[in-house]
Amino acid sequence: MATQWIFLWLISSIGCLAADEVITIKDADKLLDVINFTTNIPSSQKLPHFTTCRSPEQETFSCWWSVGDYTNLTGPGMLRVFYKRSFKNTGGEWNECPDYRVGIENECYFNTTYTSIWVPYNLELRSENKDVLYDERSFNVEDIVIPDPPVNLNWTLLNTSQTGLHYDILLRWEAPPTADVAKGWITLIYEVQYRAVNDTEWKVMEHEKESYLSIYGLKTNTIYEIRIRCLQLNFDKFSRFSDIVYVYNFVPVTKESTFPVAFVLIFIVVGVAIVLMLIIFTRQHRLMMLLLPPVPIPKIKGIDPELLKKGKLDELNSILSNQQTYKTEFTNDDLWVEFIELDIDDPDEKLGHSDTHRLLSLEHLKSGKSLSMKDDDSGRASCYEPEIPEMDSLPFNVNLMEGNPEKACVLNSEGTVPNPDLSSPNATQAKAEPEKAKIESSGSEENMPVRPYPLIQTQMSNQSWANMDFYAQVSDITPAGGVLLSPGQQCKSEKTPEKEKPAEAKKYQFAMTSDSAYTSEIDAKKLSAIPATNENDQNPEKDLSKENCISTENQSEESPYTANETTVITMPPVSDYTSVHMVDSQHSLLLNPTAVQTKDMSMQVGYLTPDQMSSIMP
Amino acid sequence: MIIFQVSTWFFVLSQTWGTLGYPLECKDEQGSSNRCISIPLDKLFDRVIQHVELISRVSEECCSLFEEMLVPFPLQPKTSRGVNICITKAIPVPGSKSEIQQISDKWLLHSVLMLVQTWIEPLTYLQETLNRYDDVPDALLNKTKWVSDKLPSLEQGIVLLIKKMLQEGFLMTELQQTLTHFNKQPEVLESTLRDYTLFNCFKKDAHKIETILKLLKCRRNHKLSCLLY
Repeated sequence: MATQWIFLWLISSIGCLAADEVITIKDADKLLDVINFTTNIPSSQKLPHFTTCRSPEQETFSCWWSVGDYTNLTGPGMLRVFYKRSFKNTGGEWNECPDYRVGIENECYFNTTYTSIWVPYNLELRSENKDVLYDERSFNVEDIVIPDPPVNLNWTLLNTSQTGLHYDILLRWEAPPTADVAKGWITLIYEVQYRAVNDTEWKVMEHEKESYLSIYGLKTNTIYEIRIRCLQLNFDKFSRFSDIVYVYNFVPVTKESTFPVAFVLIFIVVGVAIVLMLIIFTRQHRLMMLLLPPVPIPKIKGIDPELLKKGKLDELNSILSNQQTYKTEFTNDDLWVEFIELDIDDPDEKLGHSDTHRLLSLEHLKSGKSLSMKDDDSGRASCYEPEIPEMDSLPFNVNLMEGNPEKACVLNSEGTVPNPDLSSPNATQAKAEPEKAKIESSGSEENMPVRPYPLIQTQMSNQSWANMDFYAQVSDITPAGGVLLSPGQQCKSEKTPEKEKPAEAKKYQFAMTSDSAYTSEIDAKKLSAIPATNENDQNPEKDLSKENCISTENQSEESPYTANETTVITMPPVSDYTSVHMVDSQHSLLLNPTAVQTKDMSMQVGYLTPDQMSSIMP
Repeated sequence: MIIFQVSTWFFVLSQTWGTLGYPLECKDEQGSSNRCISIPLDKLFDRVIQHVELISRVSEECCSLFEEMLVPFPLQPKTSRGVNICITKAIPVPGSKSEIQQISDKWLLHSVLMLVQTWIEPLTYLQETLNRYDDVPDALLNKTKWVSDKLPSLEQGIVLLIKKMLQEGFLMTELQQTLTHFNKQPEVLESTLRDYTLFNCFKKDAHKIETILKLLKCRRNHKLSCLLY
């Protein structure tokens, strides 16, 4: 009896306890469920729950639920959906689902009246008597928008490539009819995917806001499938894919289209191989010529460049003093100096093209003959490089100064010299500085008196031949075609920088290189003794003259090959000047007789007559 | 005498209201020396909508970045779920297309303007408060700053829109007095949750502004078809 009471008491107490949870216990199974539910122990059975909530167009939405393992709750009304939407600050009130749609899956449908966006919704799935809460959801309707797929896909052919291998299409589609895109209520963006039928992966195009898209580069004779899906702008839920549309373009294949391609490729490969072979087999010559322009290095015919190095001055002097080497050369009628005729009387006359032509042709001749003197050494920079004949009949100054810098042996009509610094061709060439040569050429191309050289015509008589080197600087060209050689550069400041008067602007000067290899200290002094005539302000020239004045120090650096280049007319800076008397009919330069007479001048470079040379040379 | 004073005072005030109104672009009608280039309404609409779309996108990115940052922390405690705790809840904008279409242009535009104005201050706050987080990603900071900088220009655009559409020279409406200030937020939640809520609310409001403007644009362009439900 007592046990029965205890048992009853236990049951009732359990019932009372359970009753606090507002759950009615009907049988042992339900008790178990309740205990599991209240104590949050995962149940072995799946509870009814919401599967998904979706709005297709942001105006209506539906929520679906499943009964889980509680198949006995499948019947209508067994499970109920309650919702609440919160307006403003009020919590809102709970209402039951306005439209239960009984289909395969349980659905609760909210039409436009019951749908509000930007407002939080709370949904609850409860049992029939609202006692058991199975599931709940909360969301904003705009966040659950999953649009319908786009419709009416179609494509048109845009064009086919010339090879017939590829083509472009324009794909069009329409927004899903449910979405009110026209009024702007919802904005959709589309994602197009396509692939060839036998491919495994879809190519995904960039998201498109419009209702059309061009697809480029499809291959002919291949079937493509295209599908599209859309999503709401700035949200992340994609729609399902649309129906697939098939694209096919048949182009009959012509064999020739592939032929030339392969042929061209083979040809290119073979050509490249041949070029490579050539380069390899011809070795230095080609490579060097192509890749590395000839770098002027000091070179004098018959003289070892080793001697030019510092410390071997005596040997060099002895060699250079051997007049036989270039005495024989002087006998060559190629000497500029010998045949230059100079008309000093018309300083103001502008030299016409005729004069320059004469000189040029002279140049050509000289250059042609000088080639025989030339070494094979490409490092030697001289006025008689093969390129000289290529010069066209431009004005003398411009012509000579353009192109290869080393050829700029002559001053322009204004009596200027491109760059005095570099116009010591010996120095530059000796030092093998191409950049200086470039400066020279760039300066020369200005075609304007860059650094006018002093006109030393009047000084011709005073000029001592001893100051002259191989190269004579042309101080002027007469209208008759005579070339005035300047007696040489002096170290006096008055000689070098001085503004050249425009009246004397048309004088050519043959630059005589300050070939210090051939000047001794005596020469240097004599150089300095030579007064300057028209000098222009040129610092480089000054420097050059200084350089010439101290040429003895630079002997080793000077290019000894100027001895060979007797007929070479290099660019200034030149220490010595020989006045050219005129150009005779054979296009040879005749030196100024007055200048010629000064036989007490020491070594001349290049432009001396044989008489002078013999007088000068020991 | 008193009447005279009052009337002059009223007159002066009404004049100053015009100047105290929002800065508008150049006043072509007065023939000022500055040459003004006025923009057609269509283009203005397009620009403002573009602006808002961009802001909306960036706000959405900010939201997701913020959520990623707080992954280890449990978010959205039950109490706040489903409750409208956004700061702009005082600005009543209906949530259905049909309802919005029944509202006048003027009201819609003013609501949009108020929305924009309300968010300027909180975004500045968000900008500062983000620095307190330990591992805040730079992208989030940059985006927040960008949005915070862009809102005033959006405000200007909407003011311009109002001026053009409604021919209102100055804006002193009674709606402005209902502006809820950020500081008076009654629900003081935990700071992380508050920031998260702010981001979410801003994203929602940006979408709201975007949708309203698009509806207005349609209404403007195709009066008949857009008004038909």
